Amino acid sequence: MRAFRHPIPALSLAWLVLVVLAALLADLSPYQYDIQVLKEAYGAPSALHSLGTDEFGRDLLTRLIHGARTSLSVSVTAIAISVACGMALGAAAAWFGGWFDRAVTVTVDLTWSFPEILIALILVAIIGPGTTGTMVAIAVAYLAQFTRLTRAQILTLKGETFIEAARSLGAGNTHILLRHLLPNALAPVLVSAMLATGDAIILEATLGFFGLGAQPPTPSWGGMMSAGSALIFKAPWIIIFPGLMVALTVVAINLAGDALVASLDIKAKLRGPV
Amino acid sequence: MTFSFKKTLLAASVSLAALMGAAKAQEAVFVLATSEVGTPTYNPIKAGNLNKATTLIFDRMVSQAADLSYHPWLAESWEEAADGMSWTFHLKPGVTFHNGEPFNAQTIKDWIPLFAGSDNAYMVEAIAEVQVVDDLTVKFVMSRPEPNMLYNLSSSFMSVVEPKAFVALGDNYGVTEVYGTGPFKLESFTIGQETVLVRNDDYTWGSPLAKNQGPAKIARLTFREIPEDSTAFLELKTGGVDMLMTVPADLMGEVQKEANLTLLTMPGQDVYYMPMNVTKAPFDDIKVREAAAKAINQEEILASVFGGVGSVANTFLISALPESHVSDTSKISYDPAKANALLDEAGWVMGEGGVRMKDGQPLKITLWTQSDSVFRRLTEVVQAQLKAVGIEAEITTFDSSMIRDQYKTGEQQAAVRSYNWDNADIVDWFFGGDRLGYPNVSMFNDPKAEELRAKAMTGSKNMEERVANFTAYHDYVLTQFPMAPIYQPVDAVAYNKDRLALPEVINGIGVGAIAIMDMEVKE
Repeated sequence: MRAFRHPIPALSLAWLVLVVLAALLADLSPYQYDIQVLKEAYGAPSALHSLGTDEFGRDLLTRLIHGARTSLSVSVTAIAISVACGMALGAAAAWFGGWFDRAVTVTVDLTWSFPEILIALILVAIIGPGTTGTMVAIAVAYLAQFTRLTRAQILTLKGETFIEAARSLGAGNTHILLRHLLPNALAPVLVSAMLATGDAIILEATLGFFGLGAQPPTPSWGGMMSAGSALIFKAPWIIIFPGLMVALTVVAINLAGDALVASLDIKAKLRGPV
Repeated sequence: MTFSFKKTLLAASVSLAALMGAAKAQEAVFVLATSEVGTPTYNPIKAGNLNKATTLIFDRMVSQAADLSYHPWLAESWEEAADGMSWTFHLKPGVTFHNGEPFNAQTIKDWIPLFAGSDNAYMVEAIAEVQVVDDLTVKFVMSRPEPNMLYNLSSSFMSVVEPKAFVALGDNYGVTEVYGTGPFKLESFTIGQETVLVRNDDYTWGSPLAKNQGPAKIARLTFREIPEDSTAFLELKTGGVDMLMTVPADLMGEVQKEANLTLLTMPGQDVYYMPMNVTKAPFDDIKVREAAAKAINQEEILASVFGGVGSVANTFLISALPESHVSDTSKISYDPAKANALLDEAGWVMGEGGVRMKDGQPLKITLWTQSDSVFRRLTEVVQAQLKAVGIEAEITTFDSSMIRDQYKTGEQQAAVRSYNWDNADIVDWFFGGDRLGYPNVSMFNDPKAEELRAKAMTGSKNMEERVANFTAYHDYVLTQFPMAPIYQPVDAVAYNKDRLALPEVINGIGVGAIAIMDMEVKE
């Protein structure tokens, strides 16, 4: 973890910890995120409302904090689902090979040939808008990445002598997969999951911007930016602060992710035959 | 070296002169209203939605003044038979279409039957036969009196098309080519982007409601489609365009701050409302519907969402229409005490977290809205107002272009939407029992309403009777609470006053053909 001693990765990590803490402790925020005080609408940042109020007179800081909860929980859950399903599929495809491998690879390649946002939009249109829809949509959109990555890892590991040794000692398929192959394939997948979480936050914000993410009054960063875009002249803070949150968080995830790659020294593994 | 330098200089000055010449010509760029973005055709017969440029390509038989009275246009005069069973129109001589075809009585005879089978067929439904009396006189023989005839003839859906080209071009008419008799000809049309019109130099038959009967002063007019209001405003502010055909309430202040921009407001034709699905619980109970309708605080919405611009809506029709004058008891306005009492009566008792309960079930509904920012903002305020009387509304946002198909499923419980129309027959359109789903979002099908509706639509001999019948129909519909009225906006346009000169008086509805005929580009 030496990489995190440098100031930029350290700052990124600190920011991420702060955002996660804010999301966890959102209920302690000074105001309620859904109570409208229409008389105080469009308030500029002041002592009472440090980041100003939105078009319904709700405290913007409170909504940003609750928005962090929405954005993080949706993107982290989605990526977790994606990683779990992707690893299972990829490992099974690599291990069993044959027609199963071909079927998985073709399906996954097919979804990979579309931009993530397009897949997500189609899925949300089918499932319906809301946090569940967004979660599933993001999970499926990133499935291809983890399936291919795991498959490639397992394929390279499969021929190693320690696997051969395990097999000659009488280990079964499940044992070899769970005990020897997946743990060795885990590190690059985890780093790639971390970087994908950054993308997922952007995707979640994009869906929210189109009004397809968390439905009001639940705040999400994308939804807040969307509302603010129509008010950019009247109350610019409504769009600026959520925009900053998305930008800073995604940049922090990427910088921290880079540092993690450096400290784990898994660049070579990431570059494997994907 | 010297030669080439001189050449460059020469070329530069030539192109500079050309640029200056272009700037001086009568050219203008307008931005269409956001509600008109993406209209797929200029075919008035087939279209469900037409944009403002339509009013410049075509003329109509009758023009309507700002006070909603009717005036000549392509028809110089007309007579209605005493029993309402026939109409005779005397047409203006010397009118030609953009493709050179003459406009005469035969045109009308060929044009009316083209409506058969289209969504707009109801406009000519009462015309049994069109007779050519002489070259410039045409007679409609009616199957029943139609007091709304002049309104229909003044509507943009009854823009007079060139019938031969219409038949020959089929679905391409209005998309690749279009011919009318209007002051402008279509040069190019890219759906969802822009429409370029050029002046019809032969035009001398404009509506008498404008000072100038033709040709138009502007030589070339581009209508751009910009879906986001704030982007359109930036274009106006930086001089990229000369006029915005709509300005939402929250940008009006910004327009007024700019020294070179002028804001012009006129009475609007929109009504915002909340339809409630009368076939789905809990709104199958009229008490719950009445309570929800009376929980809407129209004054608060007017002040907070629309900055006090416009007026509240207490009926389903715009207040300029005589049919909006229903009895005071039928008007729907904010009454939280009554709303709470009604819900108590209906058996919904206030539970934990401020949500009412009945038989262990919370009073929870879904509230549909479309993705435009003003709808989303309005819907969030409605959500909070419903919560105040113990109704929990969950908002579902649909893309504005997709929501009509969603309504057709009939799954909606309540929605926040708006319509734009200035005739009482809109009550028939949105609450007629044969249009369930969409347009009848409320799924309202009531035997007494159907009876009153039939009387209003087809049983009126003259305008007075029609107003009385529609008022009664409208009044009854309001007492059944299939919807809650919310807000009536004003129409606002913003223009660059260094570039455009508008007439002092616009004796038409909104900024359309009548206003644009008198408009000039400053040189």
